[in-house]
Amino acid sequence: MIAENQFIRGVKAHFQAIKAALAGRMAYRGDFLLSTIIMLMAEMFAPAITFLIYSNGASFPGWGIYEVLLIQSIFMMARGIAFPFFFGMVWNTLSRVREGTLDILLIKPLGLVHLIIMTAFDCNDIGKLFGGVLLFAISMKHLPFPGFMQWVQFLLLFILSLVMLFAFALIMSALAIVWVGNSRIFEMFSAVTSFSQYPLSIFSKPIQTFITVIIPLGLLGFFPASVLLGKYSPQITAAIVSSIFFLIASFWFFKKMVRQYTSTGG
Amino acid sequence: MIFLSSMGVIGKKIEFYKTVAFVTYKEWAAYRSHMAVSLFVGPVFFLVQYFIWHAVFTTRGSLGGFTLEQMVTYYGISSVISYLTFDFADWNLQMLIRTGKFATFLLRPVTHVYFALAQKIGHRILSFWMEFIPVYLIFIFAFGIRLVPRFPVWTVISILLSFILAFLVNYCIGISGFWLIRTNGLRQALHLFKDICAGVFIPLTFFPSPIQKILLFMPFQYITFVPTRVFIGSYELGGVSFSIPEIVGIQALMVLAMVLFVTILWKKGIKRFSGVGI
Repeated sequence: MIAENQFIRGVKAHFQAIKAALAGRMAYRGDFLLSTIIMLMAEMFAPAITFLIYSNGASFPGWGIYEVLLIQSIFMMARGIAFPFFFGMVWNTLSRVREGTLDILLIKPLGLVHLIIMTAFDCNDIGKLFGGVLLFAISMKHLPFPGFMQWVQFLLLFILSLVMLFAFALIMSALAIVWVGNSRIFEMFSAVTSFSQYPLSIFSKPIQTFITVIIPLGLLGFFPASVLLGKYSPQITAAIVSSIFFLIASFWFFKKMVRQYTSTGG
Repeated sequence: MIFLSSMGVIGKKIEFYKTVAFVTYKEWAAYRSHMAVSLFVGPVFFLVQYFIWHAVFTTRGSLGGFTLEQMVTYYGISSVISYLTFDFADWNLQMLIRTGKFATFLLRPVTHVYFALAQKIGHRILSFWMEFIPVYLIFIFAFGIRLVPRFPVWTVISILLSFILAFLVNYCIGISGFWLIRTNGLRQALHLFKDICAGVFIPLTFFPSPIQKILLFMPFQYITFVPTRVFIGSYELGGVSFSIPEIVGIQALMVLAMVLFVTILWKKGIKRFSGVGI
């Protein structure tokens, strides 16, 4: 009963924080609209390159344009959900550690992870989700419609892609605690995840192993797309198992870094 | 006598801006681990491009006027050049205007545009040995890219012009802060547009021909595409070819045009500034 009350209280607090963030952002509607469009356009970088490659008569061997765009749309959709709803925790942690205000969250009667997520809702990133859904719909229109089981498998793998992004957010937030004020961890994230936007087969074997088994980046786009396309890859199982370990490792790393946090009281 | 006196004033000003550059260098050197992130980010991004183009070129011998070797070299060169020309004058100026701190520059015997340029020089000198040289060596020894300019003198001149042009374009974006309160969205929009039109993401020869022709008359291609092509040793866009001295000359004219544009924009913008109780 107490646990249930705490859960309801947490959900209520979360929605309240989202409402406050939305209200604050709407004070500058023009900038919000422009930022949302920009976020969408910035995400279109990889699809635009794909389009230019195919429109110049070239291709990724064995992959049609809409198959590649499907991978990239799933990557965009995953980011479009992760960035507004929980990925803001990275920037939140980064700025709070620099300003010394993380202490305020540490003394509040809610979990630290929950608090840094709920105080970091970023509606600008919704543009990523809209763009992803649109590109997904366009790609699917040009591809054979998948069966029911394929959709179920896709849904499970898509959830795992969100789990992967959450694990990344935890690791980056943990890094932000000890690497004070370094906003370039976002660039590191973008660099690493750029492997996820293209067919696995274009990479060399060692890199394929790395993005399947060590850090299962393939789950962010390639594997969910491959089940929809009926191109089952034997590496999927390894990636699924690895993603669970990756999540556990990220929690461990975050807790370890929080224990190392020092401050003079804000 | 008057000549000697004015020379003395100019000498003092140069000394002042040298100090600004040196202080910026020292300030950023304290955060050198932040800069060192480029040693990871640059090669990883490049690695992805390397595999993309290797896969694409298995189906074609040449694409967009590039062979595989030229394409990989294009990305290598444009990456390392970006470390020399990177700029955030827009963010700085907009922050100063938004917070009202810009008022302090109006009270000082300092021209802000030179101040900002001196800051950039200090910042990029640090970047030269923290980012440019290590990544340059990684590209040569780990990826085996031939990063030797065909015309070294013209390449240096072109990169210097690109350095100034990147600053002027960003400074223009910064000046928009005189008209707008919150400019993050606009700044990001303009940066994205600038990078696309500069050939950062993909060589401009991949764009449809009419767009290539329009890009010839815009300042953006002179920031990345032109110095990269000068480095390679040939230039062509929109069906128009120029010799290397010609395109560097046009790049210099574009810098002059941008100086004029910044001056006009500045004079209009500064009239709109107000700051109270800073």
